[in-house]
Amino acid sequence: MGPLEIGSLVLLALLVLLSTGMPIAFALGAVSVGTLLLTDGSRSLLILGETFFGGLNSFGLVSIPMFILMGAAVASSPAGKDLYAALDRWLNRVPGGLVLSNLGACSIFAALSGSSPATCAAIGKMGIPEMRGRGYPADIATGSIAAGGTLGILIPPSITMIVYGIATETSIGRLFIAGIIPGLLLTTLFMIWTIIACRMKGIGLSDVTRRYSLSEKLEALPRVLPFLAIIAGILFVLYGGVATPSEAAGAGALFCLLLVIVIYRMWKVRPIVGMFRDSIRESIMIMMIIGASELFAYTLSSTFVTQSIAQWISGLDVNKWVLMAIINVFLLVAGFFLPPVAVILMTAPILLPIITQAGFDPYWFAVILTINMEIGLITPPVGLNLYVINGIVPDVPLSTVLKGSLPYVLCMVLAIVILSIFPELVTWLPDTLMGKAI
Amino acid sequence: MGMFIRAVDRISEVLGIVAMVLLASAVLVVCQMILMRYVFNASTIWQTEFVIYALIAATFLGSSYVLLHRGHVGVDLLPTMLGGKAKLALELTGGLISLAFCAVLAYSGWIYFHEAWANSWTTDTVWALPLWIPLLPLPLGIGALCLQYIAELIKLIQGRASLSASELTVIREGE
Repeated sequence: MGPLEIGSLVLLALLVLLSTGMPIAFALGAVSVGTLLLTDGSRSLLILGETFFGGLNSFGLVSIPMFILMGAAVASSPAGKDLYAALDRWLNRVPGGLVLSNLGACSIFAALSGSSPATCAAIGKMGIPEMRGRGYPADIATGSIAAGGTLGILIPPSITMIVYGIATETSIGRLFIAGIIPGLLLTTLFMIWTIIACRMKGIGLSDVTRRYSLSEKLEALPRVLPFLAIIAGILFVLYGGVATPSEAAGAGALFCLLLVIVIYRMWKVRPIVGMFRDSIRESIMIMMIIGASELFAYTLSSTFVTQSIAQWISGLDVNKWVLMAIINVFLLVAGFFLPPVAVILMTAPILLPIITQAGFDPYWFAVILTINMEIGLITPPVGLNLYVINGIVPDVPLSTVLKGSLPYVLCMVLAIVILSIFPELVTWLPDTLMGKAI
Repeated sequence: MGMFIRAVDRISEVLGIVAMVLLASAVLVVCQMILMRYVFNASTIWQTEFVIYALIAATFLGSSYVLLHRGHVGVDLLPTMLGGKAKLALELTGGLISLAFCAVLAYSGWIYFHEAWANSWTTDTVWALPLWIPLLPLPLGIGALCLQYIAELIKLIQGRASLSASELTVIREGE
């Protein structure tokens, strides 16, 4: 049996195991163990512990639980509410101000929490009732927040980007910076579409219900600025290469915890334990998938599957954009079913050699991949954000949320096309700030 | 049977708290390290390794806690769609395969730990930490994970719980 046949069987076995609903980490591990047993005999079992441990033994991974803790601290506090209120006070006289403050709040909160469902939940709880109260139709109100929430995995710091950096051995700091302009581009596209959709339904955008005085505007700032300063600080030390992402994440987590405790007086034991519990749950889930995918990657390369697939594809001699389109469709389909982190870990060892061989920039690809994953978050069958929104406003049927968010999927596809035509939008900022990638 | 399940659940809850404490200690040590390096310009010896190993230990030791609270996500589309007996059969199969994998991982981790112990291996840094210390949580934690899987499978057969967990169930439980 050749490597390509082994590869197809491994993929099939993985799909069968995943369909039982078992944890992704253990499905990956079980398929790897099965394959190693069949191709290499029982002595291969001895390296399991070492490989799994080795997959976790890296200082770069430290940033994952730290950023998750930072996000959990912010998400469990009323910071989202204050952020929303502050933006609303400042932007409410701009035409379409409510839309702008909603999506703006999404992108800022996305930066703080690094998580899409958390962004959706925090901004949605305030934003959706407010929009509906001012006469926006339910599909626009819910769809824009569902889409805005997906920015969480693109705008830095992002857990998804860290995982990509670990899986492909690319610079996490550089990945973060590469995500900034595409993140702003997507935010802008979302805003433009929302305004168009409102116009089409004949909704006036200058629906000022009240004016805020300057002192009211200033009053909203002290609770918001410290959090903005933390994001700015993290990005600043990463730009300059002053500190590693893990160090920045550790300091960010401590500062956010202290801020939440001081500003919101959350110094009781219960909420703090709650933050740690949520962080532990999410980080351990991700770390177990990382360890298991190390086994998976080892299995694929020791059976020469990885190498053969790369060779086979380069032998096909297809146009590199056709190749990229196929990879995009593949990622989209995977993203429909699996969480972003799992898709990246499972596909990166196979896709990266193909991508670089075809002459694509790995940082540019990280952004394209992430946007694909964002689409998966607002499309059925397991579009996480759709269900989060549905949980916030149970009276809006899921089909309405879906109808409202589908145009944003097109915005994301458009963003992929724009970034393919102008890859400089991704590479310019990191090249300028950090020098050309080697 | 009931006592076994209660005992295992209790162990996992305790291990979960241990994992939280390890995470908290890692945050503090990272910040101490930053202070030493960038403020006092001092060199740091043990901090980097401590943080990595504390988080690996948290991962292994907390893994049974995460299973108890359905945090290891999967794709539960098919079981949810089918429901009833078919769902039970799928979850049982998935659970048994997971248990088998975890048992093999725990065993292999034990061998690795034992080798490090018997040969007095140390990490190859200035700190030269005996390697068995960071390796011990692997067989311990994954061993506890196996016990928790047995407990969950019993709960499943008794009809007291469902095994599948998607990202959504995780978020809902968090609220």
